[in-house]
Amino acid sequence: MNYDCLIIGGGLAALTCGIKCAGSGLRTGIISGGMSALHFSSGSIDLYGYEDDRTIVYQPFEKIEKIISQNPLHPYARCGMAIIQEAMRFFKNEASCGGLELYHNEESNHFHVSTLGTIKPTYFSQRSVFNEDIKEAFRQRPKIALLSFAGFRDFFPKLAAANLQKSSLFRHLEIITGEVILPMYSKTARNPHEFRSIDIARIFDSERYITNIAEQIKKASQGAVFAGMPAFIGITNYNKIYRRLRELTGIFVYEIPTLPPSILGMRIDDALKRRFAELGGEFIAGDRIVGGEIIDGSLDHVHTENHGTTRLRARSYVLATGSFFSGGLTSGFNILRESVFNLKLFCQQERNTWYSPRFLSTGGHPFLAFGVETDDNLHPFTQDGKTVENLFCAGAVLGHYRPIVEGCGGGVAVSTGYAAAKKIIDACRTSSQ
Amino acid sequence: MKSIETKAIVIGGGATGCGTLRDLTLRGIEAALVEQNDISSGTTGRNHGLLHSGARYAVKDLESARECIAENKILKKIARHCIEDTGGLFVTLPDDDPEYHNRLIEHCKYAGIECEELKLEEAFRIEPHLNPYILSALRVPDGTIDPFRLCSANILDSMERGGKVFTHTRVDAIIAEGGTAKGVRCIDEVSSEPFEIRGEIIINASGVWGQRVLSTAGINLTMLPSKGSMVIIDYRINNVVVNRCRVPSDGDIIVPGDTVSIIGTTSRTIDYSDIEKLTVDDDEIDVLISDGEKLIPNVAKARVLRAYCGVRPLVAVSGNVDGREISRGIVLIDHESRDGIKGLITIAGGKLMTYRLMAQWTTDLAVKKLGLSKKCSTFHTPLPGSEQKVKKPQIRQFTGMPNSIIGSTLYRHGNRVSSILSRQNRNFSLVCECEMVTVGEVEYALKKLNVKNIIDLRRRTRIGMGPCQGELCSYRAAGLFNELGAASPIEASQLLIDFLEERWKGIKPILWGDALREMEFTYWIYQGLFGLGDIAERSEDE
Amino acid sequence: MIKLENISFDYCIKCTVCTIYCPVARATHLFPGPKQSGPDTERLRIKNPELVDESLKYCSNCKRCEIACPSNVKIADLIQDAKWRYLKKKFRFRDYFMSHTDLVGSIATKVSALINFFMSLSIVRFFMEMFLRIPMRRVFPKYNSRTFQSWFRGIKKSQSSFSKKAVYFHGCYVNYNNSSLGKDMVRVLNAMGIGIEVPDEKCCGVPLIANGYLKKARKNAAFNISSLQTILSDDTTIISTSSSCSFALKYEYAHLLGMDNTKIFNRVEYITKYLYNRFQEGMAPKMKPVNLRAAYHAPCHLERMGGVIYTIDLLKKIPGLDLVILHSECCGIAGTYGFKKEYYDISQKIGQELFRSIERAEAEIVITDCETCKMQIEMNTPYEVIHPVSLLAKALDQ
Repeated sequence: MNYDCLIIGGGLAALTCGIKCAGSGLRTGIISGGMSALHFSSGSIDLYGYEDDRTIVYQPFEKIEKIISQNPLHPYARCGMAIIQEAMRFFKNEASCGGLELYHNEESNHFHVSTLGTIKPTYFSQRSVFNEDIKEAFRQRPKIALLSFAGFRDFFPKLAAANLQKSSLFRHLEIITGEVILPMYSKTARNPHEFRSIDIARIFDSERYITNIAEQIKKASQGAVFAGMPAFIGITNYNKIYRRLRELTGIFVYEIPTLPPSILGMRIDDALKRRFAELGGEFIAGDRIVGGEIIDGSLDHVHTENHGTTRLRARSYVLATGSFFSGGLTSGFNILRESVFNLKLFCQQERNTWYSPRFLSTGGHPFLAFGVETDDNLHPFTQDGKTVENLFCAGAVLGHYRPIVEGCGGGVAVSTGYAAAKKIIDACRTSSQ
Repeated sequence: MKSIETKAIVIGGGATGCGTLRDLTLRGIEAALVEQNDISSGTTGRNHGLLHSGARYAVKDLESARECIAENKILKKIARHCIEDTGGLFVTLPDDDPEYHNRLIEHCKYAGIECEELKLEEAFRIEPHLNPYILSALRVPDGTIDPFRLCSANILDSMERGGKVFTHTRVDAIIAEGGTAKGVRCIDEVSSEPFEIRGEIIINASGVWGQRVLSTAGINLTMLPSKGSMVIIDYRINNVVVNRCRVPSDGDIIVPGDTVSIIGTTSRTIDYSDIEKLTVDDDEIDVLISDGEKLIPNVAKARVLRAYCGVRPLVAVSGNVDGREISRGIVLIDHESRDGIKGLITIAGGKLMTYRLMAQWTTDLAVKKLGLSKKCSTFHTPLPGSEQKVKKPQIRQFTGMPNSIIGSTLYRHGNRVSSILSRQNRNFSLVCECEMVTVGEVEYALKKLNVKNIIDLRRRTRIGMGPCQGELCSYRAAGLFNELGAASPIEASQLLIDFLEERWKGIKPILWGDALREMEFTYWIYQGLFGLGDIAERSEDE
Repeated sequence: MIKLENISFDYCIKCTVCTIYCPVARATHLFPGPKQSGPDTERLRIKNPELVDESLKYCSNCKRCEIACPSNVKIADLIQDAKWRYLKKKFRFRDYFMSHTDLVGSIATKVSALINFFMSLSIVRFFMEMFLRIPMRRVFPKYNSRTFQSWFRGIKKSQSSFSKKAVYFHGCYVNYNNSSLGKDMVRVLNAMGIGIEVPDEKCCGVPLIANGYLKKARKNAAFNISSLQTILSDDTTIISTSSSCSFALKYEYAHLLGMDNTKIFNRVEYITKYLYNRFQEGMAPKMKPVNLRAAYHAPCHLERMGGVIYTIDLLKKIPGLDLVILHSECCGIAGTYGFKKEYYDISQKIGQELFRSIERAEAEIVITDCETCKMQIEMNTPYEVIHPVSLLAKALDQ
């Protein structure tokens, strides 16, 4: 198979990059070994959330400006401010084309509420989490209800309420908790293994039970303006169901991402994949790159598990295989390596320096910042220090940033994915001229 | 200050303490047990869970070997659900002294341990994944024993007979008035409330911690702590206990325990002041894995789940300080004759295997000192859960319910399974998906088994002990603590933090490969998605 | 006891993604999903085989869990293996009849008219449902009056004139039920200047594996491996027009049956990949426009093998084909799964999503690579379903 651009990995960075490339008329393939980390993400895109001392960043672009000047190795610095801003506009637009509207608080961060009732700064959120109406309603010091589905084991509203009440933003608000009963409960109750968030979301992908649930939500909220619930409003038919719920209840049904799978995250995955396919991109699922050949500083072809001896070729390649979790990086007893091409890593070799003494240490863990070293063009280096000219790296496989501690995982994935795509498109244009 | 009256007080909730409490209550003596942490949280819960046949001691310490095989036979009867009668092998590797094999056979004969020479093909039939280059193999009646279950069953039985149990309660001092021990002053570690328990006889069964406890009564007893480390493999890589046929040394045994396998053990002398801050060293892990691999090569490919260590409770009886050399014999001290303090007994030394025997001797002495004459019956009275032999997970009551759930609950609680899982759907809802812990089991543990936090819950149920180490279940468990009235929402959040931090301790030393992936994922969820660190920080500020 | 061939359960980090994408778990709550049935309980089964859950039997082995898994766990293999290793087996005449396609097919083709007539009688189907638990509503494939093999014997001589050759593993379906696909295949390759050789073959074993006849499956596998190994020279490709047959020859033999198929592994190719490579070499036949709007459904097993891109590429090269690529969904039939009463409703429910998207595609015809997908879609939609090779045969400009 021959592509203009072949992207290894199928997560946020890969899809952003793929959409940009496919949308520019390049024959683009994404090869993804298993589903991506989007399935466990909050469904909001964080741009930059925290200072090193854990204080909250309100103006992410201002902060990024500082990062760019202070830390030239940070992936944001590799992208540059203009590209980051362009990437965000592009992403919002493409997600919308894929059927998912994203909202942001102009240039500032807004907050979303977690399953444990903590609040987290973020840049883009879905309609049920943030929009102008929600912002306005919140100014009025509304009463808040946190509801769950009876029997659902992945969301305990009382825990969320107690912690939420402790945050300065919610301290003076009335927060109540309650329960609604799934209309399907009588049928599903036979199953001893109970449902996960996805089972509930599927029930509400159709409009069948919507009036029933709307009534229950209204009743259980006892006059609250917001009803925070584990994300349940479907995956594909989300916009319509959300609107209907709003009409029927008059309440803001606020969605909270739960234990895996995260419905809000899956919606992003779904929208981006849909958009990628619409633009003619080819998504190859469930296959893994087992190797490739770098000839004269340029990646010639790759082999996959399924395609055996048949080579996949492209003019440009993107490595967006993610961190350890997604398999982009591999660790052994005392070894760290990049999984596909054994590229040069930013890391520490001694194992006892990989982690912090406490699991929830404020600074996170050193291993979370490990990743591929690149030059300014996102080209990685082979072990002998040479760059690979037609290979770009994007997303969590990159080193020099701490996605969770800085609250910038989503932003870096989108920005670097977009930046790589821009470079590839430029390269294709010059070579075809 | 609150004061509680009882007849006998046991300090320490390890196997010996729990066994002594049971023996006392079985003989109809009113008794209370005080434990600074959770039952079986010290040395008892930190070994490899081998149900010794005695063969490991046969060559060096015939007396211990004889005790082991006798207790082995008793435990198989009274603690069925805490034990798996897997059988064990002693295999000789090419670099081992082949002479040890013959000596072992001979000494097992002296000790009365059945020891059968196996043809190699028979050994490979029993344990197909053994190192193919072994030279010889012996079969001995080793098995596995779950110390958490064992202690929990002893405590449950005592409580059902009126025994009182105070966990997370530290003994501040032994109250000694006029040369007689009258009770103990305690602090409830959860509420920080001080109180005292008064009784006629005090039994110190606090193992290595006994040195501190006794010092409060002005008694000097030197403990020589020796650290032993082990690593846990994600799944059962062996069917039977595999021992290396050589003089006992580091990394020479792999024990299959419930769903995992444990490679043991190292031995390092440590300072007494270090007993509260033990860590597993990298070189210990190195040794355990590379030597474990020699027994079963598959160790190299499997995920290492955790590493942990315990302190051997060795009492100084000679000048020798290497842990393995010191006699593990049972030490029973009547402080009246040793130190002139009446009403105080110390039981120390020994092993998990001989806990019942130790409890029997201790209780015999206590009974004598109390002027009573009640006979021990622990050697034939089964522990709760072990009353009958339940053969298959297919119990009629549960027809149509998943065997994986019924069977796992049966493993952990024996006959009590029927009071844990009623046919209610909610009871079958899984909290821990790796070890099949249900809402029903959590509820049972919270109500009946002295559970104060999720870490205790883990010891009763195996929650969070599977491959994901709490990734999915710890939030659910915290939620249930609140739902079942065992913690306020804020307390439940703290329990969640404590649990994940406790899991992290054992994961840190083996953080590579899939364990590292798992932890990145767990961190992603609990910090990235839930912001649990913010709660942790807040609670530190307060 | 551990089976070292598949210790991939150890890689599972409990992300639950497999369960999201399991079509069976989605359709019925009787199946707790691949995570629990595979890696979770495999640890328990190693501890004690008695802890095996009956619910394993609901797995249709569509392999979508393996496609979704980010940790490379061979989930479906684990479940299949556990099913036959630990669950008690009951002999059912129906399962024997459905899995021994060779035996049944060779008899049925001899009396095809009679069989086809009988199978169309509702009274027969009523008793079949009653006694054999084969659902009445399920439409059965018709039997040919003449096997593909016997037809091929008639034209065998004509194939010797080609210097380039390919070995065609036709499988039971082409042999007994749909020989026209085999004929199309011969026409297409002949038009490209490639001659066909047909090996001695037995059923690839897919239905045998699905029904627990592992011994027989191994026997067939051994036969096929040795037969395919010896036919023609080492570099001749062995092609198959059935995605499931090629999947079995390539993967299931090694993974599930523990057979050594290394000698044929690299030679076996699903037809569209073979055609793709030949087209790349400039061997594409002359084609005329077909002027059709068609919807393409990718079968699960082809997707698992990574073969879908080749089929799509091939279809895109057929002139005048207005192609709609359907969102990848399981059709639900999963071989013999949907032919059993106990799974019939589940099978139908799984397929709904796909049937709806076929309706929405407003095509004239549906294309798919798999014979049982074809049966399921033809039964549930008004459309004719055609194999890519048959479509290519239609496009041949001769």
